[in-house]
Amino acid sequence: MGLRDDLERFREVGEQRREDLKEFISYGDLGASGAKDIKIPIKVVDLPEFRYDRLDMGGVGQGKGGTPDVGQPLGQPQPAPGEGDDGEPGEEGAEHEYYEMDPEQFAEALDEELGLQLEPKGKEVVEEVEGDFTDITRTGPHSTLDFERLFKEGLKRKLAMDFDEDFVREAMKVEGVTADDVYRWCRENNILVSLAWIDDEWSRIPDDERDTWESFEEMEANVEQTTAVQRIRRDGLKEIPFRREDERYRHPEIIEKKQSNVVVVNIRDVSGSMRETKRELVERTFTPLDWYLTGKYDHAEFVYIAHDAEAWEVERDEFFGIRSGGGTRISSAYELANEVLDERYPWREWNRYVFAAGDSENSSNDTKERVIPLMQEIDANLHAYVETQPGGTAINATHAEEVERTLGDEGNVVVAYVSQPDDVIDAIYRILSTEATAE
Amino acid sequence: MSFRRHRRDAQKEAARLDEPVREAGALARKLGLDPYPVNYWVVNYDEMNQLIAYGGFQERYPHWRWGMAYDRQRKTDQFGMGKAFEIVNNDEPANAFLQESNSLADQKAVITHVEAHSDFFNRNQWFGMFSDEGQFDAAAMLERHAQAIERYIQNPDVSRDDVEKFIDAVLCLEDTIDQHRSIREAAEDKDGRIPEDIRSQLKNLNISDDVRREVFDDEWLDQIEEAEREAAKITAPRKDVVAYIREHGMRFDEESGKAVAMEPWQMDVLDMLREEAYYFAAQKMTKVMNEGWAAYWESLMMGDERFAGTDEFITYADHQSRVLGSPGLNPYKLGKELWEYIENTTNRAEVAEKLLRVKGITWRNFREAVDFDEVQRLLRTDPVIDGVNAEAVDELAALGPDDPRVDHEMLDRVLSGDESIDVDAYPWKVLSYEGLAARHYSLVKPQNRGFLRRIRRSELEHLSRYMFDDDLYDSVEEAIADVDKCAGWDRMREIRESHNDVTFLDAFLTEEFVRSNHYFAYEYSQSSRQFRVSSTEYEAVKKKLLFQFTNFGKPTIAVYDGNFDNRGELLLGHQYNGVILDVRQARGVLERVYHLWGRPVNLMTVTKEFDEHEVEVARRRGREPTPVERAIRIRYDGSEFSVHDLDPALEERIAASDIDYDTKPDDWL
Repeated sequence: MGLRDDLERFREVGEQRREDLKEFISYGDLGASGAKDIKIPIKVVDLPEFRYDRLDMGGVGQGKGGTPDVGQPLGQPQPAPGEGDDGEPGEEGAEHEYYEMDPEQFAEALDEELGLQLEPKGKEVVEEVEGDFTDITRTGPHSTLDFERLFKEGLKRKLAMDFDEDFVREAMKVEGVTADDVYRWCRENNILVSLAWIDDEWSRIPDDERDTWESFEEMEANVEQTTAVQRIRRDGLKEIPFRREDERYRHPEIIEKKQSNVVVVNIRDVSGSMRETKRELVERTFTPLDWYLTGKYDHAEFVYIAHDAEAWEVERDEFFGIRSGGGTRISSAYELANEVLDERYPWREWNRYVFAAGDSENSSNDTKERVIPLMQEIDANLHAYVETQPGGTAINATHAEEVERTLGDEGNVVVAYVSQPDDVIDAIYRILSTEATAE
Repeated sequence: MSFRRHRRDAQKEAARLDEPVREAGALARKLGLDPYPVNYWVVNYDEMNQLIAYGGFQERYPHWRWGMAYDRQRKTDQFGMGKAFEIVNNDEPANAFLQESNSLADQKAVITHVEAHSDFFNRNQWFGMFSDEGQFDAAAMLERHAQAIERYIQNPDVSRDDVEKFIDAVLCLEDTIDQHRSIREAAEDKDGRIPEDIRSQLKNLNISDDVRREVFDDEWLDQIEEAEREAAKITAPRKDVVAYIREHGMRFDEESGKAVAMEPWQMDVLDMLREEAYYFAAQKMTKVMNEGWAAYWESLMMGDERFAGTDEFITYADHQSRVLGSPGLNPYKLGKELWEYIENTTNRAEVAEKLLRVKGITWRNFREAVDFDEVQRLLRTDPVIDGVNAEAVDELAALGPDDPRVDHEMLDRVLSGDESIDVDAYPWKVLSYEGLAARHYSLVKPQNRGFLRRIRRSELEHLSRYMFDDDLYDSVEEAIADVDKCAGWDRMREIRESHNDVTFLDAFLTEEFVRSNHYFAYEYSQSSRQFRVSSTEYEAVKKKLLFQFTNFGKPTIAVYDGNFDNRGELLLGHQYNGVILDVRQARGVLERVYHLWGRPVNLMTVTKEFDEHEVEVARRRGREPTPVERAIRIRYDGSEFSVHDLDPALEERIAASDIDYDTKPDDWL
């Protein structure tokens, strides 16, 4: 009970009402999110109520530094009713609530939603760290002596050796028994006593008590045997039989910490034929892939390559916005990717993903002669080509097809087609599931 | 007074505030206020956010909505936008919370503000409507509710989801109550019980069909049913929808596929949430008045009476400018200015009335006959009263034992050497209510200098209309000496007893106020698809403002029939005043009300439809299209919505005849 619970419940309620992940990826506003925090719009979280139509009710305002003129517009025009509204009058312009996720949660949610199970591969031994002091040796500096263990072993030994001395003494008071009889009786009763101890004690039993009991049975029936725990409780731990062989010294465990690193190369055709809608489709496909892989690996780095006939590396912020006029030579991007990967992200240490997107248009023979050999040459967990071609396939756009035909069976090459927002989820699924099965 | 004692910072802060708390309470009472005793608590930043989320209390029933409020509060606060200065709850004793990080000036301001709120809680009749019913102990009530609902949630026979869903449904209706009446009166509305099916009852009697037919023939049964149905009709719409549902609501039982009686816990939750809705209603109804009231007295105590002390005054001024300077329609500012306006107009009327009784002065020659500078000089506060300090107590004594402006008991103690009274720090201690009224007389304040002069002829004429002793005074001096300087405050206290925001604005919002604050009304233009300024006229602005405050600024929804269509369906009606409902929201509410009714639910309302062609034509011609109003009934049967044309007889019942909140000018764009 309390506000913490209420907050927790609110989060749960919010999660139930957050925009469906698929819908968010295909149609939602990706712009509110950053590389490390994903903000999914929440559909109306608060309870509904009877209220006036926001537009019809109008209102009262206060002019700053003067009374405004009648007819003066206030704020931006509203979207026309009927334009892209699912009967949500009154909701537009309302406060936006977001359900916030980190990439890890995003990856988890996407796994769940798409039924994926991609296990990131550990690649690089980053460092050997001293772990907890959990390894043990028989010698060592005094300060690392595992006293707890020594004490435990001693205690175990004591418990093993300990017996109810009084009880055995009573046994010596049975009429007509000898020390050997008592010893044998003790062994039968699992009392761990030595004959020497019995001999030693024998002489101390007063003679007038030697016939207290007629038999062992009678004695057992009348004298209560105490357990070791009872005796320790009663008498305290007088001494613990420490032994040299129980001494253990702790030293830290050496852990080889494998960090799974991933580098994602995003390649995008920015040539003149890539129009606004196509660009948006690329962004919708690439961004969730980036989030997903960021969430899956311990450490993720991204390389963004834009290309027309030439290729150049850019920052993420510019990546989806660039437009250029030139022709298209896809191999230029792969050449640059190859260079960057070799130089900065050795295959031995990095998981590599190379994602390229474009409208499949390429200069003649470039795909066959240059791109395909490069894709074979560049070691990567996955090569993907996303063809964005709203409005159908043009005649000279054969890059995707050729790649698929030639490399489709390689296991680490996948081609996906996105011609409308609805295809985005399928493409993401196709790409990620190829990686998952290629293991 | 009690403070949290378990943290050192809070404790230190508490000790520092001991004196301000004691003295603010005393000053407030001297000024004629009558606050409930207030317990002050020092809390940290996070606790403050929690209290705000919980509506000013420490314990509320478990619900995600508090979590949402808390989350939002923290987020607004992150950007420094919603710095919380005070939170005080309406209770006897009231509880106020001070944030330990506030400056001393802030704390003092909060304390004076809180004392005024507490007076308002105690003396405003809308608050009284709840607090006068039986034992008033809000914190205990809310705590009891919290524990009861917690128990229902813990109960293994009831799922947490069910409880929460049920609460959700009731909360959707928290404003559809009859807030102008007490919770008890609102529940007492007479309406017949929904008749149980008499035939099926007879069937259950286990008598043979023959006998039954013999004794209860069909004609007789039809008559009975008809009579019962008539009796069950709701003659006047029931505004307290929650109470109605409490009496007649059911729940849909999945297993048997029909509506069955509510579980006892559901009835209990309904009762509790309804009680809370009535408890909080008064605050929602008096926001402008109450905030303005607190801001007015805070400003008087802190600024004019220098409760802040001179060195803290600058920070105080800063504090106040932050509170009052918030953009948009600010209830503090609107309320405070209206209270000041009431004070000034009352004082002015008092002065004018006295002057009109001077020989030779009439409403016709008032402006020429009266030397306003002279009047202003005569009204000036006696310097002995104005400049009270420890050195000058003898001058006070010299005024004589009958001077009503002096608190003679206190003065005697000071004169006989009682050092516990620090006249320099608290000069008001040796003054009476009359003395303080003179000391803070509004018409002599610099900002009100021209106010007296601006009196309208119509007002003067009105004042003199029924005046008989109009030659009572020989001179202006004589008349002014007789002016009751308490008139303003006396009137203000009367008004705070009986008004709520709607009546307050209706009575006191003036043209002058609207103009000088540059208020304007705006409406949505269908043809340009944006909001536009529709009017700067006083009447239009006032109309819109009243609209925003009437019925919590929400549409009025009432129960019109509990046995609609003779099928036990609930019929709610939106009392249409020219502004349409947010239909999507309304549908959301219906879905939830279904959980409370167990049978189909209906809502009557009016929509506006625009013909696309007409909108297009209007846009081209630069005018607004005329909507077609259509009365409809939205029905929800538990799984689907359907929309029907509304029966004309019913349409008549929900349409308000003469109200029009539309401020669109004829020639607009």
